[in-house]
Amino acid sequence: MLSKLNIVIILTFPFWIFFQSGSDVSNNYDIKIQHTFYVNHPGEKEPMEVVLIEIQNKDSLPIQYYMDVKSVICLEQVCKVIPVRIFWNNIGEYQNYKLKEGATLEKYEADLFESEDYVKLQSILSNKNSPFKEVKLDEVLTVVDETDFEDVDAVSGATALELNENDTVAGAALTCYTLWHWANGNMVALIKKNTTETVSNEQLLDFLNEKNKDYYLLALNELTKRKVYGEDFTNAVLNRVFKDANLLRASFKYIETAPKSIYFSVVKNIFERGGQEQKIAAIKSLHASPFEISKAYLDLFCVQIPNLKSFQEVMVFLELMQSRNANSTKVIDCTIPLLDANFLIARRTYWFLINENLDTLQQQKVEAFYIKNKDKL
Amino acid sequence: MQRRDFFKKGTTAAIAAGVIPLVASSCASTQDVVYDRKLDKWYHLGTGKTGMPSRKKTIGYDVAVIGGGAAGICAAVAAARNGSKTVLVQDRPVLGGNASSEMRVHLNGVNQLNNGEAERETGIIEEMLLHNRFENEQESFPIFDHVLYDFVVREPNLTLMLNTQAVDAEMKGDIIKSALCWQATTEILYTINAHIFIDCSGDGLLAATSGAEYRTGREGKAEFNETYAPDEPDGWQMGATLLMSSKDMGRPIKYSPPSYVIKYTHEGASLKRKFAGYHEGIWWIEVGSEGDIIADFEVNRHKLMGYLHGVWDYIKNSGKFPEAENLALDWVGSLPGRRESRRFIGDYIVSEKDMTEYKQFEDAIAFGGWSLDEHNPGGIENISEPPSYFHHHFDEVYQFPFRALYSKNVSNLMFAGRNVSQTHIALSSSRIMATCALMGQAVGTAATICNKKNILPREVAQKHINELQEQIMRDDVFIPKRPANDPNDLARKANLIFGSTTLSGDAKNLTNGISRDIDGAINHWQSDGLSAELQLEWELPIALSSVEIKCDTNVKRNIMMRKDSRNDDLYGNAIPPEMLKSLSLEGRVNGVWQNIGDIKENRTRLIKFKFDSMNVTAIRVKMTETYGAEHVKLFEIRCYA
Ligand SMILES: Cc1cc2nc3c(=O)[nH]c(=O)nc-3n(C[C@H](O)[C@H](O)[C@H](O)COP(=O)(O)OP(=O)(O)OC[C@H]3O[C@@H](n4cnc5c(N)ncnc54)[C@H](O)[C@@H]3O)c2cc1C
Repeated sequence: MLSKLNIVIILTFPFWIFFQSGSDVSNNYDIKIQHTFYVNHPGEKEPMEVVLIEIQNKDSLPIQYYMDVKSVICLEQVCKVIPVRIFWNNIGEYQNYKLKEGATLEKYEADLFESEDYVKLQSILSNKNSPFKEVKLDEVLTVVDETDFEDVDAVSGATALELNENDTVAGAALTCYTLWHWANGNMVALIKKNTTETVSNEQLLDFLNEKNKDYYLLALNELTKRKVYGEDFTNAVLNRVFKDANLLRASFKYIETAPKSIYFSVVKNIFERGGQEQKIAAIKSLHASPFEISKAYLDLFCVQIPNLKSFQEVMVFLELMQSRNANSTKVIDCTIPLLDANFLIARRTYWFLINENLDTLQQQKVEAFYIKNKDKL
Repeated sequence: MQRRDFFKKGTTAAIAAGVIPLVASSCASTQDVVYDRKLDKWYHLGTGKTGMPSRKKTIGYDVAVIGGGAAGICAAVAAARNGSKTVLVQDRPVLGGNASSEMRVHLNGVNQLNNGEAERETGIIEEMLLHNRFENEQESFPIFDHVLYDFVVREPNLTLMLNTQAVDAEMKGDIIKSALCWQATTEILYTINAHIFIDCSGDGLLAATSGAEYRTGREGKAEFNETYAPDEPDGWQMGATLLMSSKDMGRPIKYSPPSYVIKYTHEGASLKRKFAGYHEGIWWIEVGSEGDIIADFEVNRHKLMGYLHGVWDYIKNSGKFPEAENLALDWVGSLPGRRESRRFIGDYIVSEKDMTEYKQFEDAIAFGGWSLDEHNPGGIENISEPPSYFHHHFDEVYQFPFRALYSKNVSNLMFAGRNVSQTHIALSSSRIMATCALMGQAVGTAATICNKKNILPREVAQKHINELQEQIMRDDVFIPKRPANDPNDLARKANLIFGSTTLSGDAKNLTNGISRDIDGAINHWQSDGLSAELQLEWELPIALSSVEIKCDTNVKRNIMMRKDSRNDDLYGNAIPPEMLKSLSLEGRVNGVWQNIGDIKENRTRLIKFKFDSMNVTAIRVKMTETYGAEHVKLFEIRCYA
C-alpha cells in the first residue's frame, strides 16, 4: 500500500453530528496529519485512494484517527451516497461515526434510517466479528430487497444471505457491509502501524500500563523490535503478568529476547513472586532457554520449594533440574523432604531422586519410600 | 401384509406390485421372470453349456438396515462398529437419500437456534461431514455420493448392497425372519435373514409388509394437544420436490419449456414464496397428497417435472428476473425428494409439546432443533399460502426418545429417519437429516446391544437404556441434559488432571461428561498456544488399552453439505480450523515416559488411541498442531482398560 504524508493545520471544520456517544477530540487540538493511502476494500475492484487524518496531542502522541468515506459502494450510480466520517482510537479500534448535519442514511428503495437504525449501525460497526467480515459482496447484493430472513428448507437459503436481525440493518445490508469494512478492514493495520512507528519509548511505556490489553500487546511487539528492555519497562511487564496470567505467553516472548542478564533477573523475579501459573511459565522458559544457565542461579531456586504448592509446579521444577542442574547437592537436599509431601508429589520426587547422586542417608530415605510405596509406583 | 410363501403357491397381485416394476417385463408374470427359471434358455458360448443362471440367494446378518440415507448410513455404521455383522440395503445406485446427487437436498441439522448459533450434531454424522470436508473441497454432490460410499465400504463389519430394494418381510409370529430384497442390477432375489431389522427407508415398505402399525396424515389438535395441528385430523402429507441448479453462461441464454410444462404465473402467490437463491433450486416446487402418497408418486413426479419447468420458464421469460438472462439450467432432478409418508408407531409417539416444552426423557438418545417447519397443504398447487409455516423456532435443542424408534407390535423392528413414531407436527422439525442421523446411530447401537444380550429393542428401552446412552455418548453423540457417566472410564478416577497452560476453561471439565459448551456453561479446556500438553495422574498404576479424546470442531458453526458454499460465522466451507491435527500419547511406566502412539493427520472430533494393554501411573497427551487455530481446545478425555 502506498502512502503519502502531509502535515497540515486544519482551521475550518464543518459541523458534523455524532449519532453515538463518543468524544470528539478533533477540535481541541491543532495538529492534524494527513496521510494518503491506496487501500483495498472488498467491495471495490481497484485499490482506492483514501485520506486518513491523524490527530496528535501536544506531546505528539497520536490520539485519534478519522476518515471520510461514502456510505455505500454504488455500483450503478443509482443510490444516494452520503459521506460518513469514521473515527478510530490510536490503535485502530473503531470508535464511532458521524454524519454531516442534516444528512440521513438511506435504505433500499429510498426508505430513511430510523433513529434506532443509527444505533444498530454503531453496534454492527463495533463488532469486530460481525458476519459482514466473511460475507461476500454478491451475497449482499442479492438480498437488498429481502427484509425478512426466514429459516429455509432445502436449497437454502431462500436468501443467499441469512443474517440475524441484530447483525444487520434490514434493507441497508450494503451500507453496513461498506462501512463495516472501512471501520474494521485494512485501515486498522495501517493505523496501528502508524501509531507504533510514531510513538516514543515513553509513550510505549504508557501503553504497557493501559488497561486495554491490545495496547500492552502492541507495545510489547514494538519494544521487541526496538530492543528496549529498561527497568521501567520490565517492571511494567512484571506488574502486568502478576495480575493476568493470560499475558504470560506474549510477555515471555518479549522477555526471551532481552539480554541475558535482564532475562535471568526478570525470570527469577517472576518465579519468586508469581503464583502457580507464573512459576510454571518461568520454569518452562528456563527449560527451553538457549542461554547457558549457571548452577548457582538454579540452586537459588531451591529456596522456593516450600512455596511450590501444586504437583504441576513441582513437576516442571524437577524436570528443569534434571535437565539443566543434575546432581546439585543443594537441589537434592531441598527436594528430599518432598518425599513426605502428598503422594503424587512424593512419587514424582522419588523418580527424580533415583537418577541423582545421593549420599547414603539420602539413599536410605529413597529406599524407604520405595519399600513403603512399591505397589504405587 | 404378512409374507406368504409365494415360491410354492405362486404369485399374488400384491407381491407382483412389489417386485415387478423393477423387472421391466410387460408380458411375463413375476413368477415366470424372477423365480422359476425353467423357461430360461441360456446358451453360454464360452462353455458351450445350456443352463439356468442362479438368481436366488439367502444370506444372514446380525443386523439388516434398509435404506441408505443419513439415518440408514449412521445406523449401519454404528451397528457394525459396535460389533454386529451388518448389511445396508439401498435401492438406489448411490447413498445419501435426499442428500444424494439424485436429489441434492442440503444436509442440514440444528443449523441455527434463536441465539443465532448452530448446535451441531456430533458422532457418526459429523465424522461423515468432516470426511466430506477433506475429500470434497469442491462441495460437489456427485462427489458427496462417493465420499459416502467410501465412508460405508471401508467399515470392516459392514456389507453394502446397492440397487437393492427390500420389498417384503417374512414373518414368524411378531418377528421379522427375513427381508426379501430384489437387486435390480443382477436380477437376484435375496433372502436376508437377520436378528434385528432397522427400516430407515423413509417410506418403510419392509416395515409396512411386516404388519408394523403406522399412520399417515395429520393428527387433529385434540389427540396430542398440539397448537399447530389442524382442528380435525386429515390425510395431508407434505410433498416431494424436484430441485435444479443453473449456471451463468456469461451470455444471454434462451429457454423454451418442454412439452410437459405446467405454466406458472405466480399470480396470487403468498409474499413468502420467494425466489432468492433460485439458481440453486426452489424448495417450494412441491406436490404432496391427501391420500396414498406412495401410490401417487409417479403421477406427482410427472407433475413436478412440469412445475419445475413452469417455474423456470417464469424466471427466464416473464421479464421479472432480468438477472436470469445469462442463466441456463445445469442440473435438474428427475427423482423427487420425499418429505413424508408412513410414520410407524412405537411405544411412544413424539408430538409438538415434547419439543416446544423441551420434555426430558429418561430414554433420550438424540436431539433436534430445526424449526417446526410445516409446509403448506397443497404445496405448489396452493400458492396463496406461504410455502411453509415456520410455526416455532427453538431456544435450545430438544430431546428425542428411544421408545419412538422401535415398533410397538413387530418386536425385532426398529426405525430411524422421517418414518419414526411421531406426529405430523413433530416430523416438521425432526425430519432434518442430521437429526435423522442421530436416531440412526442410536438404533444401530441398540441393535448391537440386542445381539450381544440376545434381547429385543423393547428390552433395551426398559432395562438397558443407560448402557445405550453411555455407548452412544462414548461414540460422541451428545444427549442434552444427560451428562455421560461411564463407570468403566478410568479418566474419571484419575487423581489429577491438568493442562500445561490454560487460556480458558479447566482441564477438570474434560471428565465432567458434557462434551460441548452448552446451557451457558463452559465444559472445555483450552491451552494457551501450541504445543500443549494434558496430563492425568493416578495414585495406583492402572492397566490401559485405549484413550479417547474429543477435540473441538466448533459445533456452533455448520459444516453441512450444501450447494451455496456459505462461509461466515454460522457456516464454514472448509475443515474447521479448531480441529486438532497432530498429537501423540505417552504413558508413564516405572517413572519413565513411553511413547504409545502418534497421530499426524487427525480427521475426526473423536480421536482414539488403541494399544496393547500397559500399566501406567500417568498419561500425557502432547498436542502440536490444529487445522489453523492458535490454541487447542478439548472437551473430553476417556481411558479404558
Ligand atoms: C426438497 C426437500 C427439501 C428438504 N429440505 C431439507 C433440508 O434443508 N435439510 C434437511 O436436512 N432435510 C431436508 N428435507 C428433509 C429430509 O431430506 C428428509 O426428511 C430426510 O432425508 C429423511 O431421512 P431418511 O434417512 O429417513 O430418508 P432418505 O433420505 O429418504 O433415505 C432413505 C433411503 O432409503 C432408500 N429406500 C427407500 N425404500 C427402500 C427400500 N424398500 N429398500 C431399500 N432402500 C430403500 C431411498 O432410496 C433413500 O435413499 C427436505 C426434503 C425435501 C424433499
